[in-house]
Amino acid sequence: MIFLVTFDWGWLLAALLLGFAMGWIAVVHRGHGVSKPLARWLAVLVAALLAAALARAVPGRPGYWLDLGLSMLGLYLIGCLIGSLLRNWVLPGPADAS
Amino acid sequence: MRDSTNFGKWALVRWSSKWWPGAIPLAALWALAAWTSTAPLETELAGRSTAGLKSVLLDKSQIAVSGRDVTLVADAFSEEGRHSAIAAIEAVPGVRLVNDETRLVPAASPFVWSAERDVVRVTLTGSSPMPATKAKLLQAAHADLGGVEVVDQTNLARGAPAGFDEAALLLLAQVPKLKDGKVTITDTKVGLSGMARELGGRETIAAALKNLPAGFSVAANDIKAPPYIFQAYKDPVALTLTLTGNVPDSNAHAAIVAAASRKFFAEKVVDNLKISLGAPYGFINAAVPALGALSRLSTGTLVFTDREVKLSGDALYDGAIGQLRANLTRELPQSFQLKADVTVKPAAAPVDATVCQQLFSELLGKGTIRFEPKRSSLDPDSADLLDHLVETALRCPTAHIDVAGRADADGDNATKQALPEKRAQAVVDYLVKAGLPASRFTAVGYGSNQPVAANDNDEGKARNRRIEFIVKEQQP
Repeated sequence: MIFLVTFDWGWLLAALLLGFAMGWIAVVHRGHGVSKPLARWLAVLVAALLAAALARAVPGRPGYWLDLGLSMLGLYLIGCLIGSLLRNWVLPGPADAS
Repeated sequence: MRDSTNFGKWALVRWSSKWWPGAIPLAALWALAAWTSTAPLETELAGRSTAGLKSVLLDKSQIAVSGRDVTLVADAFSEEGRHSAIAAIEAVPGVRLVNDETRLVPAASPFVWSAERDVVRVTLTGSSPMPATKAKLLQAAHADLGGVEVVDQTNLARGAPAGFDEAALLLLAQVPKLKDGKVTITDTKVGLSGMARELGGRETIAAALKNLPAGFSVAANDIKAPPYIFQAYKDPVALTLTLTGNVPDSNAHAAIVAAASRKFFAEKVVDNLKISLGAPYGFINAAVPALGALSRLSTGTLVFTDREVKLSGDALYDGAIGQLRANLTRELPQSFQLKADVTVKPAAAPVDATVCQQLFSELLGKGTIRFEPKRSSLDPDSADLLDHLVETALRCPTAHIDVAGRADADGDNATKQALPEKRAQAVVDYLVKAGLPASRFTAVGYGSNQPVAANDNDEGKARNRRIEFIVKEQQP
């Protein structure tokens, strides 16, 4: 894991920043959200992929790509969380009423 | 409008449900990252894995990296080696899985290693136990052989006997001594074949093989050596005896030169011998009598080729051929073969008594007929001189000859008289045995009354103890 961070830190940082931006926007976004059942399915899918990655079940390059994708996704979500919380804390706006 | 519910669970759920649009660029980013980083990552891991394997002894190792998974194909020299190779790669940071495709180096049974020398190169074939040994042997071959090309075709294999390295190095050290040939180790048996570069090479190699490590033995040593040559040429015109070729050591050298000077009364010994190992067993015991046979020839050549003795030339008279052939056959050690090709020198023109006397005096002036100490038996080393006396006697068939024995001043009168007469008689017997009529000779003992030198020193006394030939015109 440490190797992955040191080797692909640029991409991971990009995912984190993308997440931060998305999280920042999401607070005032007016579009449709992901429905609850879909969110559940997505969660199951991610959990399954995570399990496959941890079990090292996918061999070779796809295995590396899975590790990379999950790492980027994780950092993206962290970025989103930080972005949303920060936006909400720094700029409480009228959007909150919606 | 900020209230506590804004920070509640529901607000977070609401926001997070709207995070999804970012997943599209994220996916693009991921694809780009996968596209660009995979190859450098694989290169990096391959480099690290190779570095990690440095301390592990492997043959034919190949590292293939796919993503973060490393496949190791290699021949290991032990189970322990296999495990440590896998562990070394597993310990490389970033490696996720290791596919173990290692196997043990095949075992060779029997374990055969050989070095073959031909005209242009030395080829190493068979099995080597370890890369280090393989490299060491190749290096040793280069060092031992100087500029000769060395080709290493050995494969690595398990199953080498203990002490293999030392045995192989010892055998390699023998290869420079071969002109061509092969040295082989088959398990703990050592075999050698081929032709030694120099005389004595066979012996040097056999001596070196005594230092083989414990457990090794020589199964076959078929090294041949160039023939051992020794030659002697009697030249009656230049009055030389030329010795060429080889003698085994300095003692044999001295013995042969001394024997030659004793046996050839008129010839000067030209010594071109050199000392070389590899003489056939019993060489000196064969060379000395063979030189004796050569001395009895007027002109002749003696050639030793290993155990074959070739004597050719001209005897001084008929009877000598049979005698020297019989004597030499008796005296040569059993393993030596005699090839005598001896003819008789054409008889010289007859001369009158005066010339005959002159010829006898000349001969006896050059050499002295020798006897065994205090006895009347002829010394075989005087055969050359005696045969020349026979030849001369044959040239004056009408002359009567007194063979006179003379003594030095030592001893009582009876002895001084008796021994020279017996000795003179022995000479007459020799002449008669050679085919001359006994009636032409009279053996006379003269005591010490006609010294030719002073009797007060050993040298003078030796000159006074002598045989003289006195020619008398035969009464018609």
